[in-house]
Amino acid sequence: MNFDINTIVYMLEIIVGGLLVGIGVHFVPVGGAPAAMAQATGIGTGTVQLAAGSGLTGLLSAGLMMSVTHNLWPILATGAVGAMIMMDATMLTGTWIYAYAVGAPFASAKVTYDPVTGWSQPPYVAPGTVGQGIPTVCFVSGTIGAAMGGLGGAMIYYPLVLINHNPAQSAIFAIGIFMVDAVLASWNIQGTIEGFHDPKFKKWPGAFKACLISTVILAVVAVLITPITGGA
Amino acid sequence: MPQPVKGFKVDPKQLRIYGVVGSVVGIYLASILNSTLHTDMFSFLAALATIPAVVWGANAVRRVCAYGIGTGVPSIGMLALGMGVVAALFGLNISEQLGVGFLGVIIALIYSVIFGYVIGTIANKVIKFNIPIMEEGNFDLSGAGTMAILGWSFAISGSLSYNSIVTDVFNTGFLAIIFILGGLAILHPFNANLGPDEKQDRTLVNGIMVCGLAIVAVGLCSVLTLGLAPAMVTIVVGFAVWYYSYVWFFRLAKRDASAVVGTGLLPPSAL
Repeated sequence: MNFDINTIVYMLEIIVGGLLVGIGVHFVPVGGAPAAMAQATGIGTGTVQLAAGSGLTGLLSAGLMMSVTHNLWPILATGAVGAMIMMDATMLTGTWIYAYAVGAPFASAKVTYDPVTGWSQPPYVAPGTVGQGIPTVCFVSGTIGAAMGGLGGAMIYYPLVLINHNPAQSAIFAIGIFMVDAVLASWNIQGTIEGFHDPKFKKWPGAFKACLISTVILAVVAVLITPITGGA
Repeated sequence: MPQPVKGFKVDPKQLRIYGVVGSVVGIYLASILNSTLHTDMFSFLAALATIPAVVWGANAVRRVCAYGIGTGVPSIGMLALGMGVVAALFGLNISEQLGVGFLGVIIALIYSVIFGYVIGTIANKVIKFNIPIMEEGNFDLSGAGTMAILGWSFAISGSLSYNSIVTDVFNTGFLAIIFILGGLAILHPFNANLGPDEKQDRTLVNGIMVCGLAIVAVGLCSVLTLGLAPAMVTIVVGFAVWYYSYVWFFRLAKRDASAVVGTGLLPPSAL
């Protein structure tokens, strides 16, 4: 193990990646169990499942690109696009179910007008619920969140591969860091959020601080793990 | 004629000691027996050593989640395993870099509990959870996740050396299976039993049951890495654990139920 300027750059990359994951979670429209019953806006599952899904897809696509080139930018771009495709596919198929199977109109209960389309929301919110389905603003927000998550995942994965030269191990390690940051961020939003228009979004500095502390501890450890050659 | 069922009530502190001692002793025993006798047959001991770890973690989940964390029980199980993966790799690697390979498990455990405590402090101080046992709960969870990962990794690789665990567990992708199974064993018991009538013994026995299933799955994985004979031992032991705890769990569920009625699909003697 040799400590030089590269090590510090690697650590910074991991920390920025962890922060991107933590902030990205705030953009994803997580509805939790109420959304699964079409009684709240968002995707009907938990933050961790969504973060893990988009993060893993981002990692896979980043890993694929990394097998071709070691240039940072295409790897980051592929990771972000992979995660965006996964999240958009989830939201799109979820939308079909909400529209054609549940038969709920898409409406957000957190804003009067959709910030993206400018359409009025309250008339479509069913009494006793806090919105249904995935309105346009949530879809846009979710795509941004997935891009940040994928970018963060790729940014954690890239330095890890350069340190330990083992893609499989780096991927699992990146998932570990990813899980810790995603769970801390989801605790910050108390499990559900609609997207960047949700009042809860203003709580992001809490997650920023929490993810910063935890990722620093993880990054110090991550750069220490180097391949062991010969019998030990 | 209802038979009396063996129930128990354990203090969290006591359970923590059982968890640490049981898992550390089990993994080291397996390691010593395997390396001195030049065999892989004792790998099942490490898989068994995850039972105290899982029970320790499941108890921490039920203590923390009883306060309601708002994100669902699975999140905390995944957090435990996320911390565990990092700690396990770090412990095994850094101990060999320092030339004290045998201390890997201890270093991983120490790092994980410190990191867990820090995460708990962050959750209370920065995210403002105000759950009084959050630090303690994350301390337990992180340690339990680490020991579960180490135990099952050993059961697949048959050795505690960093290189063999990386080759047999990480590069083959079996760690993904361990990750999800470990998460299930730690988070599922409380997720399945939560509610006002949740009882410690029923939840923890459910944890042992899922752990048994996980040992069977780990045994199946180790067919590829250790060969058929040691893998069969792990599978049979896992099945025995699962069967014993399943029957025990069924009795506990009947004890806590207000009434048990058959639907006619099962013979009355099965109820």
